[in-house]
Amino acid sequence: MTLSVENLTINNANIPLISSINFSVNNGEVMTLMGPSGCGKSSLLSAIAGHLSPVFTLEGKIQLNNTIMNDLEPDQRQIGILFQDDLLFPHLNVWENLAFGLPRTIIGANRKNEAIRTLTQVGLHDIAFNMPNEISGGQRARVSLMRTLLAKPKAVLLDEPFSKLDKALRIEFRLFVFEQIKKQDIPALMVTHDDDDIPENGLVLRWPWNNNDRGLTNA
Amino acid sequence: MIRLLYLVTILICALPLIPGVLGIVLPALSWLPALGLYTPNFSAFHIAFQWSGLSQSIFLTLFTGIGSTVLAITLCFFILRANWNSPRWQRIEHLIAPMLALPHVAFAIGFAFTFAPTGWLFRLLESIGIDTSSAFILIQDPYGIGLLFALAIKETPFLLLMSVSVLHQIRVNQLQAVAAGLGYNHNESWLKVVLPQWLPKMRMPIYAVLAYGLSVVDIALILGPTRPPTLAVLVWQWFNEPDLLLITRAAVGALLLLTVSFSVLALARAIEWFAFDIKREWQISGAFRPQATLPLTTRSNKIKRHTGLSGRLHWPFFIVPIVVVPVLLLWSFAQRWRFPDVLPSRYSARFWLQESNTLIELATSSAMLACISACLALILAIGCLEYRQKYQRGLPTWLIALPMVIPQLSILFGMQISTYFISGQYYCFWVIWSHVLFAFPYLYLSLDGPWRSYDIRLDQSARSLGMNAWATWWKVKRPLMMPAIWLAIAVGMSVSLAQYLPTQILGAGRISTLTTEAVALASGQDRRVSAVYGLLQGLLPLIFFTLALIASRYSGNFSRRKKSIQRQTRSTNTDDLICGKPHYK
Repeated sequence: MTLSVENLTINNANIPLISSINFSVNNGEVMTLMGPSGCGKSSLLSAIAGHLSPVFTLEGKIQLNNTIMNDLEPDQRQIGILFQDDLLFPHLNVWENLAFGLPRTIIGANRKNEAIRTLTQVGLHDIAFNMPNEISGGQRARVSLMRTLLAKPKAVLLDEPFSKLDKALRIEFRLFVFEQIKKQDIPALMVTHDDDDIPENGLVLRWPWNNNDRGLTNA
Repeated sequence: MIRLLYLVTILICALPLIPGVLGIVLPALSWLPALGLYTPNFSAFHIAFQWSGLSQSIFLTLFTGIGSTVLAITLCFFILRANWNSPRWQRIEHLIAPMLALPHVAFAIGFAFTFAPTGWLFRLLESIGIDTSSAFILIQDPYGIGLLFALAIKETPFLLLMSVSVLHQIRVNQLQAVAAGLGYNHNESWLKVVLPQWLPKMRMPIYAVLAYGLSVVDIALILGPTRPPTLAVLVWQWFNEPDLLLITRAAVGALLLLTVSFSVLALARAIEWFAFDIKREWQISGAFRPQATLPLTTRSNKIKRHTGLSGRLHWPFFIVPIVVVPVLLLWSFAQRWRFPDVLPSRYSARFWLQESNTLIELATSSAMLACISACLALILAIGCLEYRQKYQRGLPTWLIALPMVIPQLSILFGMQISTYFISGQYYCFWVIWSHVLFAFPYLYLSLDGPWRSYDIRLDQSARSLGMNAWATWWKVKRPLMMPAIWLAIAVGMSVSLAQYLPTQILGAGRISTLTTEAVALASGQDRRVSAVYGLLQGLLPLIFFTLALIASRYSGNFSRRKKSIQRQTRSTNTDDLICGKPHYK
């Protein structure tokens, strides 16, 4: 599976925010986008996820495998997104948050079993019945990632996912994320300001986006 | 000082609720020494329950109160779902404030003049050749349908306004992005993610709407059924019986109204608890992913969402008030207006001139009363907010909201009975007290946000520069809070102006305001005089808000000028120019 972007241009009132960007990310790979604030990193993620504000105009092609994503609604793209805030639903407890991401084909008690099985796999079964405000920031971040992955996305977008975590937690969670993405074998695109977040041998696309066909510049 | 204000607030705004309740329980048990009733018994209950139309009145109350609230909540949710975060939302948000500024009584009079059998809508239909003789009449219809619709239309903008801060608080846009990433479409994410968070946070405003719908008297007198009327109107009629000994029956009625209202509120809470806390499997049953969907462009889907039926649901809520105000204006200047003419054939300012002296007198006394009540409530609200900031302990939300959810008729009846125990005729004092009681929660809630967002470190900096506590408040905090204070005063004055029952009951009919006169005249024969009073009653809050906005802008001038300087500096930054996203390098 490959997430690719071809000649993508994002304009804000005819002012180009991003012009003719090209890259592709393969399964299990994490591509890091780096650049100053306002250079369009988050807008690029929004465009790929389908949430780009109507004030922007989009040209070019966003493809996941051989499917063109441009014309699909966000919920039809099957692209998971993870923000710097964990955004767990506060009205649901931890296992219910995970069950929210499960496909509809899993029904009844199986939803709960599947959610708790996933929590057990990542060592979080103790907090299954806690509400999001009762668990730590690190635990919330893990639950949030697992919820995203349980929906079986075809790609994942990470918008500064580690920026709100303290240093120790950041290292731990970073490894956890990369491990899970590798395990799921899906492409991931990550926005960050911190060089330490770049995975080993990972692809990096730095502003001003002077890229080659795979977007690979320097790591 | 702050502690004293806090205690005074509890004394003025919370304690009356105790005599208010006792004042209906004891007379209901036929214990009223002022009238020579010394032996408690249940005879008043027998008299009240023998009233032939009582069960029908209760049914009408439940139908109109619950029906209007459910309709208002449903439409509010659909309007938000269809328009939130769309370019149309901005326009809707701008229309909410004038809708809210229009008092219930003025709206009801205009509504009656539009939908009555000889109202403007029927004239319009007749003029285009539609026979209206067999049409269903919404005004004072026996089922209360007109009352239900009028209440729903008037309350929906209030719920929309309350929803704005709630939706910002729960970060709808980001939650929707997450839900979409998990495969949920727009409608599903609103149902399964937004609704379970929105509804509990809207509990208090919804309870206020529900309690108002169940116990409303002024609008029900104008638009509601008459034989039998709703329970609140029936109790109000019992209360006005010339035979003072029948006041015990009215007390039973007031107690019944209180019981019905609290039972419905408890039922609403139980339904919410059951649907959102106990049986919440529906929230986690997974996303519905159609296997084969035609690829529609994002833009076309969004357009479909905004132009569909739910995208147009807000129309009646803005069209009706937009229509009723000109109808009032036309009637107030109409000298000759035959049915089915769409417009009057002759105009005259005769009715304005004829009523001018009374109008000026009433407008002055209403504005004075509103000003005094709002200022007193403001002092108490600021005292409570300062107390909370200083001692990290404030009035519980339920206590603040209590005057909003208790049926006014029940509590005021008890309060009036309590005033019998104090000799002397201090009607003006009692009326101001009751207005403060009902204006206080609105003032408190409108200042709550600005007070919470105030940066306490500004106080600390000022104190470190040698200012005492009072000087810090006056020179640092007050100027920053003035825009909010002006608007809060306008809110308080509008609430005070709209009070019908408090003025009638605690003023014992000796104090008149534009509202009491407008309600009294609405049931009269001359529409032109009613229109004059209705229009002026609607105009005063608009004046209050306009003045408040001007004062607010004037007092906020300094901070805005400072902001514009900042904006000019920042606009030179290219990144900001491109994406308008705030950042700090």
